[in-house]
Amino acid sequence: VNSGVERAVVVVSLVPALWALVRVLRNKGIDMVMLIGAAVVEVAVLVQLVVGIVSLVGSHRDVATLTFLGYLVGAVLIPPFGVAWGVGEKNRYGSAVLLVVFLVIAVMVLRLDQIWAGPRG
Amino acid sequence: VADGADQPARPTRRGPGRLLVTVYGIFALSAGARSAVQLGTKFHDAPLAYLLSAFAAVVYVVATVSLALASETSRRVAYVAISIELAGVLAVGTASLLDSRAFPEATVWSSYGSGYGFVPLVLPFVGLWWLRRSGSRNMPMLPLGK
Repeated sequence: VNSGVERAVVVVSLVPALWALVRVLRNKGIDMVMLIGAAVVEVAVLVQLVVGIVSLVGSHRDVATLTFLGYLVGAVLIPPFGVAWGVGEKNRYGSAVLLVVFLVIAVMVLRLDQIWAGPRG
Repeated sequence: VADGADQPARPTRRGPGRLLVTVYGIFALSAGARSAVQLGTKFHDAPLAYLLSAFAAVVYVVATVSLALASETSRRVAYVAISIELAGVLAVGTASLLDSRAFPEATVWSSYGSGYGFVPLVLPFVGLWWLRRSGSRNMPMLPLGK
């Protein structure tokens, strides 16, 4: 797709993931840094959604369109739910929720790349 | 949800359960979306595999919701859902290895969930462990280990 956007989303999700890991190890809940991190991730996946749809429309290659769209939209849905669910627990498990969310977003970007690259299911 | 005897000592959504529900929720979303695409676009290619895929999605949704609730009933529902999940991943995983043509990489449970880092295989064990652990104080007839 657009490797610049992809790389940005991976970096933007892995940096707060590191901080989330620190919070988990210290048995601390979600703090402002993680909330800002989640907001930045959300902006990044929204940009990715727009860029992805534009690429899809402009491409004549054989891409699994629905699956591709599913990942784009899924990535947009997950962070808000993760924040809402994670803030309810004021200890390491709250931070662990966001840690998982950040890692899942990074993995989803890699899957998007695979789906774009190859004809597969 | 009423207070009192119906309330388990530790709701399944608290503590580690918070994380568990997150992982289940992600699988519910993933399996559900995948199944919707399969049923909508290529159901006749492999009806059995795609129905199993839809079944897996339903199991994950039920497990997610029941773990996220906090009643004795939701705990029981979670037990059933996660037990079915465990049976499903073992059965489909084994079947997909024995007859790979019947399961062309079509469900989350194929090859014991290898396409998802084997998380689908580990998840039901963690789920059952958590149900047991979070509910133990409410079941005095079971050995508490102390």
